[in-house]
Amino acid sequence: MSEPVGFPGGERTSTVSVLELRSVSKVYGEGATAVQALRGVDLHVEPGEMVAVMGPSGSGKSTLLTIAGSLEDPTSGEVLVDGARLAGMSRNAKARLRRRLIGYVFQDFNLLPGLTAAENVALPLELDGVRARKARADGVSALEALGLADQAGRFPDELSGGERQRVAIARAIVGDRRLLLADEPSGALDSATGESVIRLVHAACKKGVAAVVVTHDAQLASWADRVVFIRDGKIVDQTAPPPGPESLLAQGPRS
Amino acid sequence: MSTVLRERPAELRPTGRDGGAPARRAVVRWAWRMFRREWRQQLLVLALLAAAVAGTTAGAAFAANFPASPTAATFGTAGDLVTISGSDPHLHADIAAIRRRFAPSQVIESQTLAIPGSAATIDLRAQDPAGSYGRSLLALVAGRYPAGPDQVAVTSQVASTFGLRVGSVWHQGGHVRRVTGLVENPQNLTDEFALVAPGQVSSPTQVTILFDAAPASVAGFAFPDGAAAVARPTGTKGISFSVGLVLVLDTLGLLFIGLVAVAGFTVMAQRRLRALGMLGALGATDRNVRLVLLANGAVVGAAGAIAGAVAGAAAWIALAPAIQPYAGHVIGRLALPWPAIAGAMVLAVLTSVAAAWWPARSAARMPVTAALSGRPGSPRPARRLAALGGALLACGLCALVFADDNGGVALLVLVGMVATVLGLAFVGPAVIDLLAAAGRNAPIAVRLALRDLARYKARSGAALAAVSLAAGLAATIVIALNQAAAQAAQTTPTGPNLPANQLIVYASPAGPGTVAPSQTAAQQRTLGARVRAFAGTLHPTAFVPLEVGVRRDQGSYQEAIDTIPANYEAAGLVKSVSTCPPPALEYAGPAYLATPALLARYGIRPGQISPRADLISSRSDLSGDQIASGVSKGCGYASGIYYLTHPVIQTVASLPAYTSDPTTLITHRGMRALGLHVAPAGWLIQTAAPLTNAQISAARQMAAAAGVVVETMSTAPTLAALSYWITLAGLLLGLGVLAMTVGLIRSETAGDLRTLTATGAGGSTRRLLTAATAGSLALAGAVIGTVVAYLAILAWHRSALYTMAHVPAGSLAVILVGLPLAAAAGGWLLAGREPPAIARQPIE
Repeated sequence: MSEPVGFPGGERTSTVSVLELRSVSKVYGEGATAVQALRGVDLHVEPGEMVAVMGPSGSGKSTLLTIAGSLEDPTSGEVLVDGARLAGMSRNAKARLRRRLIGYVFQDFNLLPGLTAAENVALPLELDGVRARKARADGVSALEALGLADQAGRFPDELSGGERQRVAIARAIVGDRRLLLADEPSGALDSATGESVIRLVHAACKKGVAAVVVTHDAQLASWADRVVFIRDGKIVDQTAPPPGPESLLAQGPRS
Repeated sequence: MSTVLRERPAELRPTGRDGGAPARRAVVRWAWRMFRREWRQQLLVLALLAAAVAGTTAGAAFAANFPASPTAATFGTAGDLVTISGSDPHLHADIAAIRRRFAPSQVIESQTLAIPGSAATIDLRAQDPAGSYGRSLLALVAGRYPAGPDQVAVTSQVASTFGLRVGSVWHQGGHVRRVTGLVENPQNLTDEFALVAPGQVSSPTQVTILFDAAPASVAGFAFPDGAAAVARPTGTKGISFSVGLVLVLDTLGLLFIGLVAVAGFTVMAQRRLRALGMLGALGATDRNVRLVLLANGAVVGAAGAIAGAVAGAAAWIALAPAIQPYAGHVIGRLALPWPAIAGAMVLAVLTSVAAAWWPARSAARMPVTAALSGRPGSPRPARRLAALGGALLACGLCALVFADDNGGVALLVLVGMVATVLGLAFVGPAVIDLLAAAGRNAPIAVRLALRDLARYKARSGAALAAVSLAAGLAATIVIALNQAAAQAAQTTPTGPNLPANQLIVYASPAGPGTVAPSQTAAQQRTLGARVRAFAGTLHPTAFVPLEVGVRRDQGSYQEAIDTIPANYEAAGLVKSVSTCPPPALEYAGPAYLATPALLARYGIRPGQISPRADLISSRSDLSGDQIASGVSKGCGYASGIYYLTHPVIQTVASLPAYTSDPTTLITHRGMRALGLHVAPAGWLIQTAAPLTNAQISAARQMAAAAGVVVETMSTAPTLAALSYWITLAGLLLGLGVLAMTVGLIRSETAGDLRTLTATGAGGSTRRLLTAATAGSLALAGAVIGTVVAYLAILAWHRSALYTMAHVPAGSLAVILVGLPLAAAAGGWLLAGREPPAIARQPIE
């Protein structure tokens, strides 16, 4: 194992997970109106792993995702992304982390109006200082990989729902992203389109991207390497992760 | 398990903490695209900024071009001029000497001609139209310039006075001249003259020689007695005071617009909140998010500034010819004050960017999750703003009161206006809360409309402030106009000599301040009856005989006053003038006798007059003046005149000021002190409406037949008529603001409209909802604007409250009732469409 590279602005640990949540809790409000959204959640997501999070409404799935993506701070506990501890990071450092390592996919696409598909995909790169032409070229490449090359110049309101979500996925994985967080990515799509979107997420994971996908759809969750069940802010169950090559080696030769 | 953490590629390393120039370019590009897509939602701010810049452009052009340039009207293009009296015994030799010394030069000879039946005169002018320096003082309107001895070209006013046209023949003073053309002095359109060819003025009253010479050369030349060379004053460079004042007013206006813009940009930030949240989720820093809204502000400011400058310049170019008669000189359409316009444009952009700062800061600080959910922050309580607004209003009104007490100190007026406008803006949200509370028991559509206004206070409060300002401006103009009319009713003039509805018939052919000495009492009675009969044809509202004091020993001092026609005399004011030769005294106007009829005309009871007063006057500049028992039309008081060197002057504000009206009256005490007796001087006739040209012409004919002269208002029209258009513009601005605001609010509440429709509400309910939104905002704006306008004018003109006794009920009713009705009717007519079916749109 090589020595981890320190992420600017965050204290680097020797962890190997892309995402690591340690005893994370989140409380909204105070006193009588306080709502416990997460209660001591522990979660590790390895590179190339696709984790599906399932649970009823209000169980804390989206909160888990926003805390994992540095959009919110936990009330207690610790979050590490690519080995970088989020606690103590400035807003700017978190923003840098998001544009370099984390990609988001939302149920309602959240493409920026006024920017073409290629510009939407290139936006994280441009925000990170990549020149517009290079970023645009990378964006078009990412769209090509998802079969949207001919839509690169179109604006979001000229695309279908499935195309918009594919553009959102391209935006989430463009560059050198390592963590893809998707909140009901197929929620606004028909089942066939939804499945094609999940396939794309799965394909990204095959290339080394770690993904956390919140979904209500058990069929789509079946694409995941691991499914985490969450209820009332606690992880109540999860399927076992598939055995890695190391574990197979550790078992030694079968008799 | 372990993993290999890859090095980030070199090109992905940030060029700065915020992604450097590429990131800034990306967010600015997005802001620009969003502006192109959503400029209609920012139309209110755009329109206000454009209106401010347009107003400044047109206003600065007006301020720069409207005032006449005495220098240009006198010097032409010459650097020096010398004026020689026509009475100079060596006139021709002196002219020749000056021309030899200061060649090239141009000679303009003038002779004063009387207009039969009028106190006014015209100039018979001999001038070469192609002269080297006076070319800019002449322009041909029709026909051609005179070339021969029996030819003349006249101004349109002279043509009208004498009934001339191109080709007709003018019989004047024994001369017969054919009219070859119509001319004007472009630098002074009130200059009434008849132009003849050079050398055709037989006995000039005055000769002007224009030339260019070095100061040392002029100083070393011995000009004839009484003639003095004058060098052209050096023009001031840069922005003139009046243009600067327009820029100050523009800044004030932009201050208010900035407040409206803050609300407008807050609305835009709210509309884009989810997109901004997404930008944050993608890794945009706070500075990047802030830059999106600041760039939007800059684009809005630039667009408004450009649109405003173009509109203002176009308006100026279109209106300049119509303004010329008011300005009294020809105005160049493209003579625009470019530095001032550029300044106004920069101010507009800065205002817009500054207005975008606060919403940008708030949006950047908002948690990304809150932004993604589209939840706006909690609104600030209106009570705090209302308290601040009330305090500002109080401060503003106090400043205006102090300004009035201290003679209108500009800084106090400025502070008062700024504070009043800001206060007006800040009370808006509280008034909207009151409206919502007042509508608790109203029908559902009205109740919902009022509650929506309260829910969307950020935009409705700003809109209310804007409507209040528009209505307030209109009300201010209406009240000020009414005040001016009230002052006119008190015979305060609107022009330099008389109000448009007044006419003075002077009993003496020598005009103001004199009496005809040879009239018997019977002749005076006959003349009085003739004038009264004529006045009867005008249906006068006032007919007041004017009397003056004259000396009993008339004739004994005539030799000392050789500049005045023999035997014309009356007491007059005298002032010391440095330009007069010793004894440095000059006639400064007549002093009419304070008769009971005249006093009653101005609402003065005899008991109000101090028994010690020699004079009563509305003028405050008489201190140090004297009163003399005779008159001279210029310098030349000498022996034989009695003076009261320190007359007791009682100031009475209700007397008119600075006109041919009786501004100063002599009391019987003053009469006794100077040994004067009373003689009729003329009659003041006032009509209900401004005198028509036909009535003025009839008066002149009557006067010519009776051997007297009349005086009417100067021919320059007043700007009062333009004010009505400004009032209309204020109302239209208010309606425009309402249309945009109501459209925004109703589009924000489209979901409620769908719910209403789903629960069975019909088109009339939807119409009532929109009509109530528009009408209530308009009513509140009209009431606030009018009340604040009245309070501000009362505070500023506290010392002249008598002019505000009459309320312009009709005009104010148009604002207070017409504006809300028009807004409600517009809302009713334009609403009623079925709401769109899709309940919620994603951010794209």
